[in-house]
Amino acid sequence: MKITVSINIGGYSFNIDEDAYAELKRYLKSLEIHFAEEESSSEILSDIEARMAELFRARLAGYKQVITMEDVTEIIAVMGNPEDFSDNEGPTRKEKFVTPGAHRMYRDPDRRIIGGVCAGMGAYWDMEPWVIRGIFIVMAMAGGLGIPVYLILYAVLPEARTTAQKIEMKGDPVNIHNIKESVKKEVETVRKKMNL
Amino acid sequence: MDLENTKAQMRKGILEYCILSILSKNSCYASDIIRELKEAKVIVVEGTLYPLLTRQKNAGLLSYRWEESQQGPPRKYYELTDDGRTFLTDLDSSWDELVDSVNLIRKK
Repeated sequence: MKITVSINIGGYSFNIDEDAYAELKRYLKSLEIHFAEEESSSEILSDIEARMAELFRARLAGYKQVITMEDVTEIIAVMGNPEDFSDNEGPTRKEKFVTPGAHRMYRDPDRRIIGGVCAGMGAYWDMEPWVIRGIFIVMAMAGGLGIPVYLILYAVLPEARTTAQKIEMKGDPVNIHNIKESVKKEVETVRKKMNL
Repeated sequence: MDLENTKAQMRKGILEYCILSILSKNSCYASDIIRELKEAKVIVVEGTLYPLLTRQKNAGLLSYRWEESQQGPPRKYYELTDDGRTFLTDLDSSWDELVDSVNLIRKK
């Protein structure tokens, strides 16, 4: 027995197994990242979705009602992964995405207690956020310096919103592979939260 | 030298030309174009087509109209614009030149 999710692709509604849904979501996200710099990227994505809907419908002939992991894997193979259609214009995608040595401090919204400053510093130096929080608390109690320093950092540091920024925060090179990994992690976290 | 890679590069170069040629015969919807390209074995993964269509449309070579479909949502039918036809005529002659050049070298 499996839980199914109801989705809308290209104007059609489908029931899809939840593992297949996670994979499909990861795939569409990877396309979105691939075409992000393209003019009319949303148009390309909706054309691709329309085609995928057509392919899914062709597989649902007869008694079959639910899209499975197998369907998703096969349709991804038909459509191709972003690395299969790297285009002939400009630098290859891989070069475009790598910003060598990019390692910036951000506020980390995922692990924040107040504003994500300590969590962000923890991610930057690869330290446990509570160690940094401890230092701030001590600084705040002994002379009160901790609070203004925290407020200044809060104002100065940007929040890590995009996947690329979250990777930069930890200092890994930003490339399509890392983004994929981190999207995968995100999907899994959401799934766990939803208790699927 | 990777043979598959070289082949892929060759295909990529002629794909845009093939799309315009298909559309010069009649207006098509994306899945018709895919079918023809697959029959001719010039496309491997379908995802390659859509960014090309959009780029050609943005360059003014193609236009599209929405047409109702009995099987589902309206479909996008692409057709060549006048600019697209002129462009294709140029490509036709440069393709012939290319074939001649390659043949000349191969037969020497």
